[in-house]
Amino acid sequence: MKNSIKAGTFFAAFLVAPLLLTSMVIDFRSFDHEGYTRVVLQSERSFTYKVQDQPGRLEVRIAGRADFPARSQAVQNSVLLERVTCEYQGKESVITVHFKGDAAVKKNFVLEDPFRVVFDLVRSELPAAAPPRNDGAAPAADEKKPDALKENPPAVPPRTDGAVPPRPKPIETICIDPGHGGEDFGAIGRSKLKEKDVTLKIAYKLKKQIESRTGLRVIMTRDKDSEVSLNSRASIANNQLAQMFVSIHANSSFRKSAYGSETFFVSLQATDPESLELAQKENQNQEDPGENIQNDELKMILWNMAQTEHIRESSKLAEFIQNELNELLGTRNRGVKQAPFRVLMRTAMPAVLIETVFISNAAEEKKLLSDEFLDKIASAIYNGISKFIYYYGSLVK
Amino acid sequence: MTKRTRTALLVSGIAVALILAALFLFQRKKSSAFAPERLSHGDDTGGRIAEFIKVKIFYVTEASLAMSPVYREIEVPEIREELYRKFVSLLLAGGEGRIVPVPSGAQLRSLHYLVGKEMLILDFNELLAASFPGGTTAEMEFIYFMVDNICYNFREIKKVKFLIGGNESKTLAGHVDLEKPFFPDFSWLKDE
Repeated sequence: MKNSIKAGTFFAAFLVAPLLLTSMVIDFRSFDHEGYTRVVLQSERSFTYKVQDQPGRLEVRIAGRADFPARSQAVQNSVLLERVTCEYQGKESVITVHFKGDAAVKKNFVLEDPFRVVFDLVRSELPAAAPPRNDGAAPAADEKKPDALKENPPAVPPRTDGAVPPRPKPIETICIDPGHGGEDFGAIGRSKLKEKDVTLKIAYKLKKQIESRTGLRVIMTRDKDSEVSLNSRASIANNQLAQMFVSIHANSSFRKSAYGSETFFVSLQATDPESLELAQKENQNQEDPGENIQNDELKMILWNMAQTEHIRESSKLAEFIQNELNELLGTRNRGVKQAPFRVLMRTAMPAVLIETVFISNAAEEKKLLSDEFLDKIASAIYNGISKFIYYYGSLVK
Repeated sequence: MTKRTRTALLVSGIAVALILAALFLFQRKKSSAFAPERLSHGDDTGGRIAEFIKVKIFYVTEASLAMSPVYREIEVPEIREELYRKFVSLLLAGGEGRIVPVPSGAQLRSLHYLVGKEMLILDFNELLAASFPGGTTAEMEFIYFMVDNICYNFREIKKVKFLIGGNESKTLAGHVDLEKPFFPDFSWLKDE
């Protein structure tokens, strides 16, 4: 009998052991620094993840099953973090970092050797935003006027961590970026419709709507059929102190049947030489948690990732615009997505790239030939922008 | 507790352990633990026995938003980079009902594997950019078609970097930053 038990146990262990040995183990650690808290998820293997920045917590969704040290563990001696939990939902592992009070992701990047996903979190004492309307209507008169925003000058939210917070200003200038131009035709439809022409038309319509309905200042990265480099587009927006960057495009796919609209904000992967330097600092920090990494130094290293400061707002802007596109255009909602788009990386403001519809799809290309449809697109983007302005206004009050 | 009860408990315990193990195995197989199968195709003339690996290639199809798999075999050469080159050729060759998200005329010029960085560098000819149809989706279809298939089948490769005409290129068609290497994003793949 004893032999049977031993044999059974050994057999079961024999079956399970290889699985335990090969599963992806994720280590969690955090450090408090002056003005921010760094959270690091480390694994022997690289993994893909999605971030959901929720009130009071940060959710990191990882494809597949991840082994986490505990289903729930308290974070000791942290100013910002209370607890971290891990659970499995369908095919995903969800790691949730629970905050003490409210906090926001200021930076998120990936480091290698070993593979690490890093989040820098800051305290946010922001009031809850008023829910945006979903009726597609233009905002009320007070919302539309820039003066209404000026009447509510930005206030520095009270902070408990001693750091100097970024001081957001009400939105006064919006930069519209009509994709492509000049020799860069962008995508071309079957009837030879060029993306560069469509984007310029939509940009003009959008500019007109914003100026006439809000009085805000609108600048364009190009106002004619000219070629402007991606870096110059970002520079124009940065130099003109724009507080929102909206890049307009028409999509194309190798799948001729692909259709619908989608809105992107940037995803960042720190894999360049500068970031290796950052990786070394993160490593030093790992060895000596007491060492403080200066924020300014990080900013210098990440100079070409100006967008890191604005990821959260960019995500919100993308969400507002995509909801409106979906509602007004009645085409397939391909959703809000992240991608490492070069034009967005160096913009130092909330920034999105909108893929209106597919010029490579014959039916959608036909729609793009209609002035009425382009008006609809411009209106949808305008509605999304106005909701974001309302949301952003609540942040700076 | 009688001997019969103990035996019954033991048998049911082992059965539960087996079921759990099977479930784990199934889950693992579904998630990401693909490794190319090694095959030997011998001849009966006393000559060299060729080693093959069975790879799983995901292609774009009209029917699905995600890429769908097919199995192919590649003869394993002595040099590792030659195996990667053969694999990329296989990717570009496509198949019936499969869309290869690479513009016509685009060809691989050279390929380098940096062991220390676990990175594969793919250098395409200029036609890749010159003939590219444009569009962010098309760009990402190309990038993740290459990166996901390579990293899925060769786990020693963690990232892929693209060169065009031997040089770094800012973008492919004006959107995605091509100067940095790409990690796989397996959400583009549809496992079957």
